[in-house]
Amino acid sequence: MKNNETKKTFNPDTDPLISVKDLKKSFKDLHALNGVSLDIYKGDVVFIVGPSGSGKSTFLRCLNRLEEPTSGEVYFEGVEITGRNVDINRHRQKMGMVFQQFNLFPHMTVMKNMTQAPRKLQHKSKEEAEAEARVLLDRVGLLDRADAYPNQLSGGQKQRIAIVRALCMKPDVMLFDEPTSALDPEMVGEVLQVMRGLAEEKMTMVVVTHEMAFAREVASKIVFMAEGQILETGTPEEFFNHPKTERLKSFLDRIL
Amino acid sequence: MNILSLMGEDIVEFFTGFGNDFYLNFIKNARWKYLVNGLGVTMKVTLFAVLIGIALGFLVAIIRATHDKAGMMSPLLKAVLNVLNFLCNVYLTVIRGTPVLVQLLIIYFVIFASVRIDKSFVAIVAFGINSGAYVAEIVRGGIMSIDQGQFEAGRSLGFSFAQTMWYIIIPQTFKNVLPALGNEFIVLLKETSVAGYIALEDLTKGGDIIRSQTFSALLPLLAVAAIYLTLVIILSNLQKLLERRLRSSEK
Ligand SMILES: Nc1ncnc2c1ncn2[C@@H]1O[C@H](COP(=O)(O)OP(=O)(O)O)[C@@H](O)[C@H]1O
Ligand SMILES: [Mg+2]
Repeated sequence: MKNNETKKTFNPDTDPLISVKDLKKSFKDLHALNGVSLDIYKGDVVFIVGPSGSGKSTFLRCLNRLEEPTSGEVYFEGVEITGRNVDINRHRQKMGMVFQQFNLFPHMTVMKNMTQAPRKLQHKSKEEAEAEARVLLDRVGLLDRADAYPNQLSGGQKQRIAIVRALCMKPDVMLFDEPTSALDPEMVGEVLQVMRGLAEEKMTMVVVTHEMAFAREVASKIVFMAEGQILETGTPEEFFNHPKTERLKSFLDRIL
Repeated sequence: MNILSLMGEDIVEFFTGFGNDFYLNFIKNARWKYLVNGLGVTMKVTLFAVLIGIALGFLVAIIRATHDKAGMMSPLLKAVLNVLNFLCNVYLTVIRGTPVLVQLLIIYFVIFASVRIDKSFVAIVAFGINSGAYVAEIVRGGIMSIDQGQFEAGRSLGFSFAQTMWYIIIPQTFKNVLPALGNEFIVLLKETSVAGYIALEDLTKGGDIIRSQTFSALLPLLAVAAIYLTLVIILSNLQKLLERRLRSSEK
């Protein structure tokens, strides 16, 4: 509450939507993040790439505090959400997250998966929440699966549902942690297609992925992480064609 | 006299003997009522004890899981949770470390010593408290077996820890532990047979009363055993049916 009172007026067109300042995270004596700073503006599609174990997931999970940072600050829409007395649950409603393992709720139908949070947290009526869910389901081509249970769906379908479940809360930013890494190759495309659509609608997105071609196509900004630090930030053109650090050069050599 | 007629006489003798025994133990003075009424008491005590056990077990398991899993919280809440968690651990240790009969006797002769109270109520309380400790461990295992990703998905949507538990974790836990809870019901049904120690006239005690009146042990005790066995077989089958139902509803 205190933070809300002290916050400066937030201008979404000039101020960063998310601002990360000198973020550090240690697991016991393992330093997963060694001081990461990054500004993400409204409409940005930021891709985070780097070798496995470089802290990409940890960084992403610190943004909505699924992981508690050891030190440093995260500002979201002008509010320091890493501060004391912050109602993090309220801010998380505005930050959708998509996981590698989908994490759909297996005891609920697709429709219930999508409407539970809007109904309980935003106090929408059943009718309103379901109507909104149906629009989103239609958009990802899964309207006919509304009454299915998650284990009746393919991996690609599950991940598309996971994305629209997050969208049901009308978030201001979407966080993706390797959304296609658990999928069979033939299902990757359908999920990327949904993400591409979001990017075109100017949804603010932070995406951890190994899909380099997709990053090159969709990203407005690519961040290269290694050993818990951001080594390079740039447009796809700068990133792929003019890498500055040796680490990025050798990383690109290895994966391209 | 040939051998066949000898056997025939024995058989006749046996059956008239059995008939007399049966009459003496079950029909005369309407002694069968001891078994029927006892069965009612046993069922009542078991059913309510299991309900208390489930409620208590879930409560304890949720407190312990919250203590282990909940992230950042205010220092006050943390302190309260530490105290609750400590109490839960004491409860689990004491209940699981002492015989249920001793617990029953203590609750009847010590805790409720100065009040005249319905014995089946005492038994329900005692067996409920006892069962709760075992259910708590079952439920705790059930909560812990749920993928961490389910917690994270709930929290990432904006649900509080409590809402995530209530909407997402507990329903899945309940489904997972239902077969084990059915088992607990069966175990408890048999365990309540020691309730005769506080002179509660349950099924076992009913058989024993008949035995003390007729001075014949075989038939009343066999009858008691047969009734328990029948109940357990019925309950096991119900449990299997339920499990099959649950599995098919997931598909
Ligand atoms: N919960 C955790 N406990 C301990 N170590 C962790 C935990 N999560 C991540 N790590 C460690 O932190 C480092 C960064 O992990 P992560 O952010 O998952 O990397 P990436 O997503 O880039 O592969 C790794 O060394 C990983 O083993
Ligand atoms: Mg990762």
